[in-house]
Amino acid sequence: MNAIWLLMGLLLLSYIGSLLVGGRAIRGMGLPSGAEYVVLGFLVGPSALGLFDRDTLATFEPFAHVALGWLMFVVGITFGMTGDRRVRTSRLVGGFFVSLVSGAAAFAAAWLFLAWRAPLAPLDRLLAAGGIGAACAETTRYAVRWVAARHHAEGPVSELVNEIAESDDLIPILAVAFLFALYPPAVKFHLHVLGWVAITVGLGLLLGAMSAMLLGKTFRLAETWGVLLGMSLLAVGTTERLGLSSISALFVMGVTLSALSPHRRELRRILSPTERPVMLPALLLAGAFTDFSLAKYLPYLVVVAIAARTLTKWLVGLGLLALAPVARPAGPRLGFGLLSAGALAMSIGLAFALRFPGPVGGLVLACAAAITLFGELVGPVSLRSALTAAGETRDDPPSTAASTPVPVVSSTSTPLPVVSSDDRAAT
Amino acid sequence: MSGAAHAAPKKASTRAVQAVVLVALFGLLFAATRLVPELQSQAGTIGAVGFLLLTGTLASEMVDILGLPHLTGYLLAGIVAGPYVLKLMDHHTVSQLTTVNGLALALIAMEGGAELKIDGLRKSLRSLGWATLLQTLVVPIVMTGVMIACKPLIPFLGNLNTSALIGVGILWGTLAVSRSPSATLGILAQTRATGPVAANTLTFVMTSDIVVVVLMAAAMMITRPLIEPSSSFSIRDLEKLGHELLGSVALGTTLGLILAVYIRLVGKQLILVFLALGFGLSEMLGYLRFDALLTFMVAGFVVQNLSNQGSRFIKAIGETGSVVYVIFFATAGADLDVPLLRQLWPVALLLCGTRALVTFLTARAASRLANDPPVVRRWAWAGLVSQAGLALGISGVVARSFPSFGDGFRALAIATVAVNEMVGPVLFKLALDRSGETSKAPRPSISSLEAAHEMVEEAHAHPHPHHAEAPGDKPA
Repeated sequence: MNAIWLLMGLLLLSYIGSLLVGGRAIRGMGLPSGAEYVVLGFLVGPSALGLFDRDTLATFEPFAHVALGWLMFVVGITFGMTGDRRVRTSRLVGGFFVSLVSGAAAFAAAWLFLAWRAPLAPLDRLLAAGGIGAACAETTRYAVRWVAARHHAEGPVSELVNEIAESDDLIPILAVAFLFALYPPAVKFHLHVLGWVAITVGLGLLLGAMSAMLLGKTFRLAETWGVLLGMSLLAVGTTERLGLSSISALFVMGVTLSALSPHRRELRRILSPTERPVMLPALLLAGAFTDFSLAKYLPYLVVVAIAARTLTKWLVGLGLLALAPVARPAGPRLGFGLLSAGALAMSIGLAFALRFPGPVGGLVLACAAAITLFGELVGPVSLRSALTAAGETRDDPPSTAASTPVPVVSSTSTPLPVVSSDDRAAT
Repeated sequence: MSGAAHAAPKKASTRAVQAVVLVALFGLLFAATRLVPELQSQAGTIGAVGFLLLTGTLASEMVDILGLPHLTGYLLAGIVAGPYVLKLMDHHTVSQLTTVNGLALALIAMEGGAELKIDGLRKSLRSLGWATLLQTLVVPIVMTGVMIACKPLIPFLGNLNTSALIGVGILWGTLAVSRSPSATLGILAQTRATGPVAANTLTFVMTSDIVVVVLMAAAMMITRPLIEPSSSFSIRDLEKLGHELLGSVALGTTLGLILAVYIRLVGKQLILVFLALGFGLSEMLGYLRFDALLTFMVAGFVVQNLSNQGSRFIKAIGETGSVVYVIFFATAGADLDVPLLRQLWPVALLLCGTRALVTFLTARAASRLANDPPVVRRWAWAGLVSQAGLALGISGVVARSFPSFGDGFRALAIATVAVNEMVGPVLFKLALDRSGETSKAPRPSISSLEAAHEMVEEAHAHPHPHHAEAPGDKPA
């Protein structure tokens, strides 16, 4: 298969992705994490059927860089938001804590395992374990949205899980910035690793602020796309040139733009629909890059990472039951409901595979793919079960769903932004 | 195009912000390239695309203050950032950037074809006929003579005998007939001009492309025996040309019909369709040896004239093109061989000046014979000065076909195209401004997005029985 056919395939996936998105909502079609595209990519990639070889795949590395960057930019611009409403500070902090605990546990388990079994240099071991930890940290918001859309879930537990899933991206993304900075570019002067992290974050801040300035009050719609695309590509190119984490810089850029621009609401509206069309081809590429035959100890490493993540999420679920009274009706399965992984985990995996070709990147990507697949099997089912136990799911769509979004019954009465009436009808 | 030259004037503070950001962006990439001169993987190309998109847009806003076309800003940004001035991107990066040309040319050709309406063509048939006849006859003949007369000034002509010199002159004369559809559409997109000058120029430039392709094939056939006495006149080239043209038209017609049906039935995600056409179909056309420009132009023409989807089609292309064109022209600027231009500028200037003069006189004569309105008589020539990709493509063909002088020929062509590329758009915009055809209506701002969004939601919530189609729409 040559590069043109692969490009056509990616465009087709992008097209499918765009059809799955209806405005601000997802239709509840396909798998929540997009894991089927990871599997598809793996099957047609060089590690399985070999429909295209590694050289062809390498020609798509720029596309992968851009897709990852754009995804993280969109994640950044919608970070800490559910629709047009900010996530409450307590839940934002809760999201940070959940991702920190999950990531740290997976990191520790992977580090210990690699120290025991893998012939890796200490820095490579740190990078691989760190990458696996970062990939294990999130709960994909797509799965939460998917379950909410598919099972008409509404209520305080749905809202809690949704807000946590919207807030847990920051920690893993900053961790990636730190890990990438451990391998700085060859320059004439010495800069501490935190200096390189500061450059990564600073670049995102600078370009985000510049974007906000340019969009200003009078910038036109046509120029808006030019500014957003241009700044994103420049950020990707500059960070990649310096060997730093482009996904971290783009995430910070998105957060900064969202914070500074008076057009943040409109920006979210025009950018959110681009997420899925970019994500599906990126997941396919990530699957194609995945190689499970990289090392003999890889299956054991995968088991260790999954076990650590599962245990931690379960404990986190118990913690939520203890700390948040509204969550108690969901029962102990709530923690398993947080196991879904997807776009962020695979993005981190692919970013590592591109930045550190060889064992380090390969291990991180393979583990990210494995936790995504495992999360797909366990997460949505458990979440549905927990929400059902809490009495927040319904078998039939509400009869009044003809024209208005279904509100989530909560203290704030804020509707879940991702669930529209059209989606309910479609599902 | 990116800007709204004649929308509500932008405040000084906005301009200041744009200038500051422009300088800051140059500073940022300058620092990055000096800090890490060696690139990691494809990072240079990705960064360069973003950089040219931003600085091209901002530079266009700066030159807008001077009344210059945005296209000039794009070119200037590319030249300054390119491998000959600040060296923010190297030759390899620039050559990689040219992959966007396939997409840009597909969009340009489709838009150009879609702008040609049968009614308009019928009305301007007389004018078009005279202009095509005179420009195709007079310009090549005069420019052939000028090239021969310039022999003492041009090093690569020094060793040629008379017949070879005539052959080179004919090739140069043919090259002089080529125009720039991309520059024409670029200026029209920026100014959103409507009127006889805009319509006349667009019609002529788009049709002249086909004429140039045919003319070039004929010129190659005629000149080969003159330049290389051992070779003979071959009719096979004409056969190949016929196959190329007919195949391109047939494929373009099919593509146009498919596009019309798609827009009618689905109408979504046209940007992805354009990407597939620009990268995928362009590649296939190259493999089949069909003319991509002609194929896409015919496709645009079919969508416009054989269906009701023309306006939606043009709007969709405009939305995609607003980004692609900036990169396309900024890359052209970065690709400009500045040292070569510095070396050949006296001859290049002489050839460009003569070509512009002949074009001007011929256009006036053609307008007089066609009895065009005064405004066309006065300004029709101005849009015919630009040259770009097609001229460079022709020079490349000549360089490959005649290695003995081809490189020198190509270098001179690049130098003259550089001059025409810079001057032509300025002249065309001036003509549109002076003839009063430049649009004064404001462009939609981002603030209007929410209102539009709410209107769409309102329409979905309360569908009006007659709102589905625009007035006058009928099935494709």
